[in-house]
Amino acid sequence: MPMTRLFGRRQAAVLLAAVLLVAASAVQTPAKEPYILGVNLDLTGPWADTNTRLKKAMQMEIERINEQGGVNGRPVRLRIKDNGFNVSQASVNMLNFAREPDVLAVIGPFEDTFQSTTRAIAERQKVTNVIVCPSNPKVRALSQKWSFNIAHNDRIVAKKLAELCQARGYERVLSLPGNWTLAQSLAANLKRFGAERGIAVHISEETHKPSDIDMTPQVIKTKPRLEQENIEAIFASTGGPPAPILCKNIRNQGIELPILGTHAFGFGYIIELGGQAVEGVEFPSGKTVTPYQLDEDDPAKPVIVGFHERMQKRWGIGADQISGHGYDIVWMLYQAMERIQGRITRAKLRDSLEQTSGFVGCTGVFDYGPNDHDGLSPDDLILMRIKGQAFERVRLNGAE
Amino acid sequence: MVTAATFLQLGVSGLTSGATYALIALGFITIYRASNILNLAQGDFVMLGGMLTVTGMSRLGLPYPLAAAVAVMGTGLIGLLAERLVIHPIRNKPLIISIMATIGISMTLSGSALLLFGTSPRTLPPLAPAGAVSLGGGVSVSSQALAVLLVCLLLLAAFHAFSSRTWSGKAMEAAATDRLGADLVGISRSVSRMQAFFISAALGAVAGVLITPLYFMQYNAGALLGLKGFAAAVIGGWGSYAGAVLGGLVLGVVESLSLAVIPAGYKDAVAFVALLAILAVRSKGLLGSRALEEARK
Repeated sequence: MPMTRLFGRRQAAVLLAAVLLVAASAVQTPAKEPYILGVNLDLTGPWADTNTRLKKAMQMEIERINEQGGVNGRPVRLRIKDNGFNVSQASVNMLNFAREPDVLAVIGPFEDTFQSTTRAIAERQKVTNVIVCPSNPKVRALSQKWSFNIAHNDRIVAKKLAELCQARGYERVLSLPGNWTLAQSLAANLKRFGAERGIAVHISEETHKPSDIDMTPQVIKTKPRLEQENIEAIFASTGGPPAPILCKNIRNQGIELPILGTHAFGFGYIIELGGQAVEGVEFPSGKTVTPYQLDEDDPAKPVIVGFHERMQKRWGIGADQISGHGYDIVWMLYQAMERIQGRITRAKLRDSLEQTSGFVGCTGVFDYGPNDHDGLSPDDLILMRIKGQAFERVRLNGAE
Repeated sequence: MVTAATFLQLGVSGLTSGATYALIALGFITIYRASNILNLAQGDFVMLGGMLTVTGMSRLGLPYPLAAAVAVMGTGLIGLLAERLVIHPIRNKPLIISIMATIGISMTLSGSALLLFGTSPRTLPPLAPAGAVSLGGGVSVSSQALAVLLVCLLLLAAFHAFSSRTWSGKAMEAAATDRLGADLVGISRSVSRMQAFFISAALGAVAGVLITPLYFMQYNAGALLGLKGFAAAVIGGWGSYAGAVLGGLVLGVVESLSLAVIPAGYKDAVAFVALLAILAVRSKGLLGSRALEEARK
């Protein structure tokens, strides 16, 4: 071991590190250093398809930003890490991003049980965390300084639902909610906003889990109640696979009442799985679901149609609500970076992002502020009906 | 307040899930009797049956019955291959190693399914026209559920005929009942085991085809289904075919009826509480378990 004899181990290590540093900086000098955004997504596991689509959307839009010359003449890069649908990996990714000095902000994770952890890390490490689809209202409402949300929240969805009920003339509605926080809180908020409009909303205590494959017993138990309380519509406060299952179970029990859904019904697979059972379901939806059915004067229309067509061309898949979030995240961060004077730091990026106002994205028009990290309003939702195995926009008297 | 009609309705709806649990339980028992192995990949065979049918229809454009037949045969072959490639080489190692190996098979199958079929849940067209059949007294049953029940019963009858009437079925029985005897009369236990894996995988796949229109199928659906089927087999009496069927039906009905008194959120727990209760009160299961008694000697 001549090396150790000459220098001793510590000196050898220092020397090696110095050589590597010099070599590394020599390699990096030609191109301008990029701005890095960390991406912490569930690229494997049950949400892999959805998250991969979101990743593709962000990659496509980042390429466009860089073709335009990036930010201050420097390119923007995504540094993508898969959390493997594992809470500890999601927090390790978040911590690692926080400790990598060149990462300006972190996007993700998607699964809401992971989000509270990464939010806490973001708060402590003082790095912006853009949360995709924050579905746990209790966590979302913590109004943390460093987390920003991209999604329609439970309050605006419930408000829109109450408008829908009123326009349809439903006065007695029964909610059949899932047992997770978002489903529960949608039901509770509909009850609250419904009461303001004179609509009585009952909430069934028969809940279901995201992994449930058959809700027939719940429906059977609820059935007598529908007649006793003279219910006029059922609100399926759920999402994911349980949504079409619940509709099937309801129809199989011979219940013909209209079904109302959540914004989570606005995905193609709901129709594929639900078939005839989801026919006629009405729900408040993100605008990305039907790009071509938007009003001509809707500022979101050109954004959504353009994004949808790029997705078609580049990846062969159209836009959906989640990939639309990807568009919003990337461009909102871009605009926030553009607004910054001088060197871009994590703190400046956070402050700049908070000043976002009138940003027109796929999900809606975002107006962030110190007390509002959701930034959307009920106007960013439209009413949708499943008709002829496709989504059809509904315009009612008093609500659309 | 739960009315009599509701109670009855719950029971009827429990029979459908019970019939699928029975098929899965039967798969467990077939392999156990032929090889003493608890095959923890049984639920994944169910998943494969559903997913392969979906793929056959959507990617290869096969008609429904043909796609289902191909999927059942294909899953059977995968079961057979799993036995030849994984279980057979370690047949002389302690049993626990084979059981651990089946966990490996399960992970391989669900992992490959994730890569091949993606993560979205898939469905199949219903076997029977949509709608509900009224049984009178305010009780109705969906026609798909009736079809599932019917096919399950037919399959159980066929399975019974196979193991009591055909030579290879009887040979499998013999190899399971008396190893030394089987060896002495020249029945190959290795072939029996292979056969058992084929049959259980195919049975699981049939269950998969049957329930996909009702409950949908996803790459990771196998775990919970397998667990329920296992619980059913133990409740009925571990090692007995009749017990597996009875256990499945009892589990389905109990699970469903329990909701008359408790909120639905606890449904999955009921299966395992029922399992614990049976084990505590009557550890050999409802119909008794010769297999367990012999193991105890």
